[in-house]
Amino acid sequence: MAAVVVTPEAFTLVQFDAGRIAELVAEVAGRVGLPADVEVRVEIDERVPLGRSRLTSLDPITIAVQGGAFENAKVPRTLSDRSVVDVVGRLLFRAVDRLDPAFADAPADEALTLPQHTAWDAYAVGRCERVGYAPSKPRRLYHFRNRHGFTDTADRVFERLWSADGLTWADLDAACAETAATRP
Amino acid sequence: MADPKKPRPAFAPWDRRELPGAFTVEESARRVGHYKWVEMRLFEALGGWVATVPELDVKMRLGTHTYKHAWHAELWHKRLPELREMNPERLTQPANDDVVAFFDAMTEPEAPGETIEKLVGVYRVLIPHKIAAYTYHLNNTSQITDAPTIRSLRHALDDEFEDWRDGEMLIQSLIDTEEEVERAAAHQAQLEAILVRGGGIAGKGSIG
Amino acid sequence: MKRHMQATELARDERFVRISTEERFNDPRQVPREPGSKRRPGPQLRPERHEAPDAARAMMHAIFTGEIQALEGAGRTCWDFEVGADSPFELKLDMARQCWDEARHCEISVKLGDHMGTEVGEYAENVVLFEAACNPDPVLRLTGVNRALEGLAIDVFNTMREYGQATADPVLEFCEDWMLADEVTHVKMGSDWLRRLTENDPERRARALEFQRVVDKLFSAGGFRGDEDDSPVKLARRFRELAGFTPAEVEEISQLSRQARAEADAAVR
Ligand SMILES: [Fe+2]
Ligand SMILES: [Fe+2]
Repeated sequence: MAAVVVTPEAFTLVQFDAGRIAELVAEVAGRVGLPADVEVRVEIDERVPLGRSRLTSLDPITIAVQGGAFENAKVPRTLSDRSVVDVVGRLLFRAVDRLDPAFADAPADEALTLPQHTAWDAYAVGRCERVGYAPSKPRRLYHFRNRHGFTDTADRVFERLWSADGLTWADLDAACAETAATRP
Repeated sequence: MADPKKPRPAFAPWDRRELPGAFTVEESARRVGHYKWVEMRLFEALGGWVATVPELDVKMRLGTHTYKHAWHAELWHKRLPELREMNPERLTQPANDDVVAFFDAMTEPEAPGETIEKLVGVYRVLIPHKIAAYTYHLNNTSQITDAPTIRSLRHALDDEFEDWRDGEMLIQSLIDTEEEVERAAAHQAQLEAILVRGGGIAGKGSIG
Repeated sequence: MKRHMQATELARDERFVRISTEERFNDPRQVPREPGSKRRPGPQLRPERHEAPDAARAMMHAIFTGEIQALEGAGRTCWDFEVGADSPFELKLDMARQCWDEARHCEISVKLGDHMGTEVGEYAENVVLFEAACNPDPVLRLTGVNRALEGLAIDVFNTMREYGQATADPVLEFCEDWMLADEVTHVKMGSDWLRRLTENDPERRARALEFQRVVDKLFSAGGFRGDEDDSPVKLARRFRELAGFTPAEVEEISQLSRQARAEADAAVR
């Protein structure tokens, strides 16, 4: 099982439990196929209620999130297992991809365009569903349409990415080019 | 084309409307005043209940129905002066005390667990009575002299039939058990008895 | 059924979870990251932001629960007041009409929620709109709800409509535009009734306008809604004027918002 380090260890502004987060992250790491001896760090900025989340390093694998990303939107400032699994699953699949030579050409996250980000997210979250989690597909489709257009082409490409396995960076880039060609 | 100078009957052969009707101006005005009073009590109750029902679909339907009955109240309000009642408030009255008692009983349910009672009162008791009273008026009043009332009755009846169906479907979707069937039936019987005592929404001497 | 219920009594199914205004405004996470830095009033709904689609989803859900409460509030105004000098027959007819409009807005919001991948009750519900709709004076109720809160709705719908335009989302833009038309009507109702019912009662008019100011300021929420370049929700001046606000009244709300923002900035310094 992956070694997970959550910072901070104790929270003062939100009712998060670092132990619970570590437990969930370790389980996700296993399901996405990371090796058992890998270390995963999760850095949470509890001061910010917004939901930004990023993969900031591959060695060790580090996920940085604003506190809002892990919270239960129904009961603000409390932890949502589903939110944790959603965010971490998506980013750990991205880490798995980046560790794969098939993604060697992918630009750094900061250099990705919004369409590239959402295409990669669709590919990652579709796999989360297939490893047994229950992410919201309509939410991801909405994100995808925001960046790729509210068009039949975008919907078709989304469906293809969602149900795909073994893609390469070139496939994701081609998907972006495909939707860009039909965007109004 | 026929000769434009040739006299034609004022009523075409297919126009069989009759002059005689069961209601005088005063009688029609009295009934219209009762209708307005009933429509007002109904839209107020539906509006009040919106916040008390937890079922989202029922909440939204009641909101829509609230407006329809307010619009009927407005139609009747505008019809009253045309029926020589220059002070519409004077005739905006319940038919009798039993009708008042009926509305008191119908609007008693308030708790979030009483959606069945709320809907039964309106859609299994009141609206069927309104359909009957409006139809009675429609079929008995002079088709020529009271045509403006007939037009409003038809508009209102269209809404009543549609809303009755909405309400009945909501009730059926909420009733799952025999106990709930009995609850609904008991409430219906209690309210129906009060309205029968009053002779319906337009008072004794007619249907509805 | 009694007259005049409390906001705490609003009936909801189990999907909805409530958050109080105090809880929302006392969220300690609103402090800035760097002590002493000038705080921002909140994120703007700009498509280039990473989280913009989720921010739009959250805002749409807040609109949805606001629509439910607007429906409930208009419904209660039909029930709570007898017809009389204080609440004429025509006022109640307007409220019944608003019930239908708000019921439609709920329907639109649910469909939009589906379109945006949002579940009913996904976000906490704040019931401050209905709280304003509990005011025992119908004039204050209409001023607080129809002028202040529905005025805010105009600003929010306009912001969402612009987001729909910017993302070329035909569904969002279409829905917001239609709802915007209805809200302009509702704000106008509030403005008209305020004028009619307080024509000979300047003291009551002053109280109503003061209540509106309190609600407007509360909902400028530290500059959340305002006229500044970085205001997340912008004052929709043109639509507000269509709705019966005078230019001076719009200017006053802009002023209130600047004041609310300055106070919030001072509080974190
Ligand atoms: Fe609305
Ligand atoms: Fe409204």
